[in-house]
Amino acid sequence: MQKYSVFSLIKNAFSNHEKWEIAWKDPAPKSEYDVVIIGGGGHGLATAYYLAKEHNITKVAVIEKGWIGGGNVGRNTTIIRSNYMHDENGLFSEFGMDLWRNMSQDLNFNIMFSPRGIINLAHSDAQMNAYSRRGNSMRLNGIDAVLLNRDEVKKLIPMADFSENVRFPIFGGLMQPSAGTARHDAVAWGYARQADSMGVDIIQHCEVTGFDVVNGKIQGVQTSRGNIKAKKIGLCVAGSTNVLAEKLNMTLPVETHLLQACVSEPIKPILDQVVTFGAGHFYCSQSDKGEMVMGGDLDGYNSYAQRGNLPTLQHVLTEGIAMFPFLSKLKMLRTWGGIMDMSMDGSPIIDKTHIDGLYLNCGWCYGGFKATPASGWTFAHTIAQDRPHDLNAGYSLNRFSTGHLIDEKGLGTKTWIS
Amino acid sequence: MSQNFRLEKGGLINRNKKISFKFNGKKYFGFEGDTIASALIANGVHLVGRSFKYHRPRGFFGAGVDEPYAILQMNRNNEVDPNVRATEQELFEGLEAKSVNCWPNVDFDIGAINNFLNKFFPAGFYYKTFMWPKSFWYKIYEPIIRKAAGFGAASINHDKERYEHKYEYCDLLITGSGPSGLASAYAAAQNGAKVILAEDKPRFGGSLLTSEATIGNQSGKEWVDTIISKLKSMKNVIVKNRSQVFGYYDHNMLVMSERVSDHLPETEKYTPKQRLWYIRAKEVVISSGSIERPLVFGNNDAPGVMLSSAAKEYLKVYGVLVGKKPIIFTNNDSGYETAIEFKKNGIDPVVLDTRISPDSEIINEAKNLNITIKNSYVVVAAKGYKKVKSADIAKISDDKKKLSRIENIECDCICVSGFWTPSIHLASQSGNKTKFNEQIDSFIPNKSKQKETTLGSANGIFTLGETLKTSFEKGNELSKQLTNNDNKISIPAVVEKKSSEHDKFWCVPLPKGKNYKRFLDFQNDVAVSDIELALREGYRSIEHVKRYTTLGMATDQGKTSNLNGLQLVSELENKVVPQVGHTTFRPPYTPVSIGAIVGREVGKHSKPTRKSPMHYWHEKNNAVFVDAGVWLRPRYYKQGSENLFEASKREAKNVRQNVGICDVTTLGKIDIKGPDSAEFLNRVYTNAWLKLPIGKARYGVMLREDGIVMDDGTTTRISENHYHMTTTTAQAANVLSHLEYYLQLVWPELNVNVVSSTEQWAGAAIAGPKSRSVMQKLFPSLDVSNDGLPFMGYIEGNLFGIKARIYRISFSGELAYEVNVESDNGNFMWEKIMEVGKEFNIQPYGTEALSTLRIEMGHVAGSELDGRTIPYDNSLEGLISKKKDFIGKRSLSKKAYVAEDRQKIVGVVPLDKKTSIPEGSYIVKDAKAKLPNPKLGHVSASCWSVEHDNPFSLAIIKDGKNMIGQKLFALSPLKNKSIPVEIVSSHYVDPKGERVRS
Amino acid sequence: MLHIKCPHCGLRSQNEFSYGGDATVKRPELNKEISDQDWDNYVYLRKSPRGKHLELWQHISGCRQWIKVERDTLTHEISKTLKANEEL
Repeated sequence: MQKYSVFSLIKNAFSNHEKWEIAWKDPAPKSEYDVVIIGGGGHGLATAYYLAKEHNITKVAVIEKGWIGGGNVGRNTTIIRSNYMHDENGLFSEFGMDLWRNMSQDLNFNIMFSPRGIINLAHSDAQMNAYSRRGNSMRLNGIDAVLLNRDEVKKLIPMADFSENVRFPIFGGLMQPSAGTARHDAVAWGYARQADSMGVDIIQHCEVTGFDVVNGKIQGVQTSRGNIKAKKIGLCVAGSTNVLAEKLNMTLPVETHLLQACVSEPIKPILDQVVTFGAGHFYCSQSDKGEMVMGGDLDGYNSYAQRGNLPTLQHVLTEGIAMFPFLSKLKMLRTWGGIMDMSMDGSPIIDKTHIDGLYLNCGWCYGGFKATPASGWTFAHTIAQDRPHDLNAGYSLNRFSTGHLIDEKGLGTKTWIS
Repeated sequence: MSQNFRLEKGGLINRNKKISFKFNGKKYFGFEGDTIASALIANGVHLVGRSFKYHRPRGFFGAGVDEPYAILQMNRNNEVDPNVRATEQELFEGLEAKSVNCWPNVDFDIGAINNFLNKFFPAGFYYKTFMWPKSFWYKIYEPIIRKAAGFGAASINHDKERYEHKYEYCDLLITGSGPSGLASAYAAAQNGAKVILAEDKPRFGGSLLTSEATIGNQSGKEWVDTIISKLKSMKNVIVKNRSQVFGYYDHNMLVMSERVSDHLPETEKYTPKQRLWYIRAKEVVISSGSIERPLVFGNNDAPGVMLSSAAKEYLKVYGVLVGKKPIIFTNNDSGYETAIEFKKNGIDPVVLDTRISPDSEIINEAKNLNITIKNSYVVVAAKGYKKVKSADIAKISDDKKKLSRIENIECDCICVSGFWTPSIHLASQSGNKTKFNEQIDSFIPNKSKQKETTLGSANGIFTLGETLKTSFEKGNELSKQLTNNDNKISIPAVVEKKSSEHDKFWCVPLPKGKNYKRFLDFQNDVAVSDIELALREGYRSIEHVKRYTTLGMATDQGKTSNLNGLQLVSELENKVVPQVGHTTFRPPYTPVSIGAIVGREVGKHSKPTRKSPMHYWHEKNNAVFVDAGVWLRPRYYKQGSENLFEASKREAKNVRQNVGICDVTTLGKIDIKGPDSAEFLNRVYTNAWLKLPIGKARYGVMLREDGIVMDDGTTTRISENHYHMTTTTAQAANVLSHLEYYLQLVWPELNVNVVSSTEQWAGAAIAGPKSRSVMQKLFPSLDVSNDGLPFMGYIEGNLFGIKARIYRISFSGELAYEVNVESDNGNFMWEKIMEVGKEFNIQPYGTEALSTLRIEMGHVAGSELDGRTIPYDNSLEGLISKKKDFIGKRSLSKKAYVAEDRQKIVGVVPLDKKTSIPEGSYIVKDAKAKLPNPKLGHVSASCWSVEHDNPFSLAIIKDGKNMIGQKLFALSPLKNKSIPVEIVSSHYVDPKGERVRS
Repeated sequence: MLHIKCPHCGLRSQNEFSYGGDATVKRPELNKEISDQDWDNYVYLRKSPRGKHLELWQHISGCRQWIKVERDTLTHEISKTLKANEEL
């Protein structure tokens, strides 16, 4: 594989960039693989990469209905963090943070990890206390967290509303300095390129139409491009999980919902951190291009349509202006929607299933993008070893029966309330 | 500088009103009716900005919403407006604008060094480099890139402008006032339909303003004026200019932004800057027209290269020449219209037509005017850096592959026409799966998805006659269904020149040995070579191409670049365009101000504020308020120089020693009536409710179906079939919906009605050992003794002439009463209580003292009932009935919930009896254990116990019931605290509950 | 913004309603023996189909009635609305 570096860039400039190799091939499906990963999103591609890299399993295909990276890895607000209260989420995500920190070098693809810090604003003492609970949990789990008072917040983000004319004044905030953002598309492409170079087949425009299961064991998958045999199959299709589960006669603790996000027109640098509003649900960062990247609530009803409605965005942007009044003068440039797997406790599932050889990775709710490397790594482990790693043991499917739920928000099964 | 490029006469501007404005600090003049763009061009100014990546000089490319270049920073009425499009912003007296994305100035821009190095910056170059050393991306490279990117600079000052929202319903919403919009609006209006006609530009008429065709005996412009004045006079029609319908959402909801005041020097009083319209239309006519496509050739981004239709618009609408030595480079007849217009104004254009031997009425007219026409000719490359100075032109072979006879000719502008792209954005947003029309090599709408009909050039119809005919007919037909009127209109005769077919050629090959940049996306600097590179590297899906190269992702959202990009990809991939497919259009069609989207809900009004009827008493008495959801509650009443801690301690102490009064109006209240009410409560709450006597209250806990505690509160049986439920402030709305859910859907057989009565009652809690004395004075005729009104008893009374409900319930753990009166009487009640309580040293207490009192009593509240705990965790298992079923009961048998070492609430006291334990601390066995340090549980609430005069906290910890007496640590790494503690019972005061019963 | 026909009040905009999830989930009867699995199915499992979905909405800023709405989750087309006590 061609190595990317400033030297190769200069070298290729002199041949008019005509000698760059293909980043990943576009093979036709073979008849059989050791592992088939369904879903060419970030998690699927990362899983394939770590299967090859960590477990030396390379007879792997990633099959994707559309084009790789077309799902939520390309439709998010690029936030990377591990600021969770529950140990399962915190330790899993912090493991992921390490992978993020080394990803550009590991993949030889600049995914632009930018540890600019995330600040969760608090608007009451009660909220400061709730954030302390989370922050202390993070610290005891070895994750960086700092509690900021109002003045400290003001120093970092003076453009937030510190005026008198404010409905919910800022009391302070919880900051994870090592959190940040990355270039979302690059993550999918970087994993694809490396996985491809290690022998993984990345097969696009290949839709799953059914599964072959005999005596409780998976045999293969039926696709729009023919049947593919596989010893093991990993399902990595957040947003379509319920649709594929139906083909397997499975019903899951997951609902499918739409989350919208939007960007403003680009402006000169004004905001360095990722900031979330505490008296509602709004988050914001500024991309390298200068666009303010903004998101918030779900549209609030089950949806598979990658299109949302304006009242939700109006509501989200109302909270945006409440936090950052300067947003008022900017213009909303682009909006998009992503289809979320909303699980019944707000945390994901990475587990085996009752079908031998079938593995499940779903239920990422809002938090799928940042989980990409850790999800791929642990899912690869779960598939390769046929048992979950300690890091994803808590993300079991049967936790809903045993009561070992991981509910960060305490909202229970009403997944559409945020 | 005078307006050298302004024609002597002509145009639709008001030459009687001269307007002065400043651009990059220099003063210029224009006329009323100009845009910044037309006024600058009139003054010969073309260099207005720099491109995003290479910082190449940028001029004007269009004359409207499709403009990719001319983005300026504007000052209006001392406020900054970043990213204003010069082609849309109307001129007003005193306007100040400047270029963005350049430093130190637009003329000499350091960033342009990128252009000389552009060889090293192909599409996606940043993915391949900036990786070593590791920390450099975030610390060095990224800040440099960020600084170079972005357009305007936002001000962090608050936006002083006002934005409004309006909701409208109509029969027909018509989006665009060109020929198709006017005809369909007029026809529908004649049928009595309620019509909204929206025009983005200040002037109505669209293409008719620049067309030479005649309608009836009128010019296009005259016909527009006639129709518009007729429409404006009709009551059933709303006609709006400066109004862009930017989003087509579900169920025929469209959203329009009206720029009410942007064209004025300042916003008038009581007028918004912009108004956002939510419009629910029964039928939608999409008459948004089409946008001219660029032709692609070397350095086609140089200032002075622009759309031929824009050049024509500047001439005909603004009376401005975009150049005096124009080249018209076209693959269709539209270019000739521009050429003719130049010629009529005394300018000699050269027409380069890519076609071999085109022939039509328009071309003949051009020939008759002696316009120089070169067939099979192309522009190979524009020459000139900050402004076009000349062009390399060449003959192109019939197969369009070879160039010959390359020569350089002088020019000062190049007007390009690559045919027309229908504006299908709104149709696509509505869900219409558009189809590719090979004849015009563009996508046009397919079968309607919602109630939308696309007409005119937006639908690929480019002749005026046919457009008017179909639009009159459609307007009549759509409105006829809705109004049952059928007023046919005679369609006026149209005289227009016939066009010949366009040439599908659009991208000029590079001459041998030349490496010109040929741009597709002008703002984002995406060139043909970038697309080629993306495909070479395997980014083959159009979405990959778009994301890898950023094609079409600039602020013009690819209005002029998307289709050319698609054509290029399909050519290189040997596919046809529909196979490549286009990316789906999403709202907004054009960027919309966030202020307008948000409207009036800003500042203090961003969320509602709820206040109790006693709010102003609290204010007068130095209450410091706290937000409890959207309610404001007194947190403490400040006396002298007291701080929160001192005041709340004083207030709590006074409750324990004397008597206090607390405003509890915010508690949720639900009135429950019906013969099955007891049975219903019995199912909703975890404890037994069937035998609650009339005049008695009971504490209850309700669960979600997953076994988690949802809420708690007391419910009182007022009469046989009438109950009064209280909920926590936070859960009031959820509990009501929850009750309605079970009554309406799950157990409709129960004859019960519920209704919120939160707003109907004002409530005061009177708590403390002397509360009975206060009650006796308040209600001298009532027996409020322990026998007359025992704990959890209820009676009704007369409080100085007003009806009152009296509950003997307690949250503080003291002897206490709660008095409710109708809200209007709340303040009267409060003042009376203060008056009679004075001799007992009554003092108001706020939420902070309330917390202290409940914490040291071990009463759970929101911080324990946090949506993650079951009754056992909160020591509420005594309230779980074993005999009956209730909501959520079945979940309580889950393995984790019945585990021996299940978490449970305990009390925590610091060993030194001095150090307060911060809320949110964790209880651990070993304070110095290696991370991750195993946690036993967290501290949910802390207070200074006024009873014991030392800190006390509640914590929910693993195996809590067996931890009492253990010496552990409370850790708060955030506050750098490690506190040795002892675990005690959560009931720190009066564990037997004797006081409440005294 | 969806346009929902409340069977009690008529056609109203979505912002008058609040969502209530899958309407096909039936609560097990009270006091009835039920397996752990059946109970968990009721509490946690959702089909969440792509296509027609029978779901609950409450006309919260109107008549406060819970209603059933049959809506396509891909196109948002509403094919039917029912009162709480009506079945498809």
